[in-house]
Amino acid sequence: MIRFLAVVERDLRKFLRNPMVVLVSILMPILYLIILGNSFQGELKNLPLAVVRMDSGPYAEKIMERLRSIEAGPRTVALYYAADQGFAMEGLKKGLFKGVLIIPPDFSRDILHKKTAEAGIFLDNSEPIASNSVRNAVSAAFSGIGSEFAAVREERARPLLRDIEVYKKIDYDQTLIPGVVIMAIFLGAMTTGVFNTVMDKFLGTEESYLMTPITKTDIVMGLLASGLFITTILAFLVLFISSLILGIYLWQVLTWQTVFAIFLVIVLSTLCLQGLLFVMLSRADHPRIVGVFGGFLNVILFFPSGAIYPVESFPWWLKAFSTVNPETYSVHAMRAIFSKGEGLGAVKGDLAFLAVFAFIMVAAATLAYKRRL
Amino acid sequence: MNAVETIELTKTFGEVRALDRVSFAVKEGELFGLLGPNGAGKTTLIRILTTLIPPTSGEARVMGINVVERQAGVREKIGVVAQALTTDLDLTAFENMDIYGRFYSIPKKERRERISYLLGMVGLKERSKDLVATYSGGMRRRLEVARALVHRPAFLILDEPTIGLDPQSRLVVWDMLRKLRQDYNLTILLTTLYMEEAEALCERVAIIDYGKIVALDTVEGLKNGIPEKDTVEIRFKEGVNKEDIVREVGALPFVCLAAWEDEGLRIYTDKGPASIPILLERFKKIGAEVTEVFLKELTLEDVFIRHTGRPIREEEAKKVSFFIGAGIPRRFGR
Repeated sequence: MIRFLAVVERDLRKFLRNPMVVLVSILMPILYLIILGNSFQGELKNLPLAVVRMDSGPYAEKIMERLRSIEAGPRTVALYYAADQGFAMEGLKKGLFKGVLIIPPDFSRDILHKKTAEAGIFLDNSEPIASNSVRNAVSAAFSGIGSEFAAVREERARPLLRDIEVYKKIDYDQTLIPGVVIMAIFLGAMTTGVFNTVMDKFLGTEESYLMTPITKTDIVMGLLASGLFITTILAFLVLFISSLILGIYLWQVLTWQTVFAIFLVIVLSTLCLQGLLFVMLSRADHPRIVGVFGGFLNVILFFPSGAIYPVESFPWWLKAFSTVNPETYSVHAMRAIFSKGEGLGAVKGDLAFLAVFAFIMVAAATLAYKRRL
Repeated sequence: MNAVETIELTKTFGEVRALDRVSFAVKEGELFGLLGPNGAGKTTLIRILTTLIPPTSGEARVMGINVVERQAGVREKIGVVAQALTTDLDLTAFENMDIYGRFYSIPKKERRERISYLLGMVGLKERSKDLVATYSGGMRRRLEVARALVHRPAFLILDEPTIGLDPQSRLVVWDMLRKLRQDYNLTILLTTLYMEEAEALCERVAIIDYGKIVALDTVEGLKNGIPEKDTVEIRFKEGVNKEDIVREVGALPFVCLAAWEDEGLRIYTDKGPASIPILLERFKKIGAEVTEVFLKELTLEDVFIRHTGRPIREEEAKKVSFFIGAGIPRRFGR
């Protein structure tokens, strides 16, 4: 035990003597949150739409009113008025506009004469997500135009679909918080544990320790324990700061039970990732390998975890990978606890998977560690 | 009981034979030196003795304990100062020693007393709370010696303990090792590539080259073991043909060996001062203009050259793995 605690203390002291590492470990995941939250944003906004209006009639005006209200409300599109069709199309090709709406001269007259009124929308479909959003916004502006001329008759009862959200309204960037916490755990796991053993090897420090009676288990468990301690604190700090940035006051929304549940998720997730990194990297002898491999592993574990896009929409092979990816369970459990306010009962499956995965990885890490040069 | 005993110890890395059937013994209580150039196999031998790497074949015992079968037992008995500086830069001297002491499960009170004493012994007590990152190379080396003694080992192994140190720091380390020998009757095994270090400190010296022990005796015994007793060093004007000179001198019956060094030609002879006029006559004949002549007593360096055919400073380019620096485990150069 005295040896194990010596390894823990040494690691903690070294970590605390490097304040830049502490700072970067907290700031990096929060920067991820800010960048991801502002780049994906869930629904797209301010997509430039050029409008070439050649009709001054009432229906063209009505469509313009609706488009203006979309521009002012959900802000899906930003309107640009063009007098010339050629100029607008040139702008589309140059990437200045995501779409060009052309309302021809006879548009209102055709509606009034009950003819098929046609308007044209040209979309930059090289960006399918943006072009679909523009199409949907313009379709919304066109919906119901001319229907007031339908014969007056008794309205039949129509099925009504009410849109009811189960949980309180959550902004897109707020939905990223669980993923950001998991990312903080990954970064914490990567900058402690195995990284320190590789650094010791690289700096030659390991050699002097290997000549003492310290055992393989003391080394691995000591490094994992100090890494777990550091990462748990970092993850809670990241959770607290990122929530505060997004206007969520944790002391108002969390109970002691949910804090305990989050603690369990953080601890188990950390052990899973630390163990995994140890198994894969404990025999590397250059920190560069940890950096390169860690960066790659972060991407392949984080994106298929459901932190950004739902797992259900993945192709089958990625879905299969997600089922063995510990971050999938971590994100799912964090989201259930943090965003939905669920307790331990709702995440016991996730916790069970994480516990088994962590146990296997920690055991494998001890076996994989080579107590020799 | 011998402190170290190896029998036919061999270590290969791929096709490189770093140690080739090495058999030797270090007696308990002696200060033993392993002398050899870089790449001779000294560090490989130390790493086997300290359980860091397993031998390919052969047997090694440290303090009577087999280094392969009872590694933990060996580690309890030895104190090691590695070739590289291995103290933690982010920790203070006290913390470095304290953590090391805990690896040996030394109780807190005893540990603190020993650390205080040892830091005083190596002259670092005043700096014990400073981070090691602020220490000079010499101070770090002294700290490493102190750290290696924290668990009171019976046997101290030092792998090139003065490499990279300035002459003054080197003398401090030498004095410290002599004091340790006197005060604790420690068995010490040190490797070195400095002749003067082996000559100044060691009771017995083994010369190791290309993984083989080529000579082993006391310094005096090694000197007495070669027939030629004198060395004549001759310096020439620039532009002489070195090969012609060696060929010419080598043909003389009283010359045992002739080799060029940085500053001139070194000739080993059993004829002493009487050889000088003959040599000068011969150089005159072939038109090689002599500028200086020295007659030297036999040194350990001469013994080394006699056994290996080259001076110790003449290092070969070190074989380095293609993968070093890429993070892939090294096969050579370790």
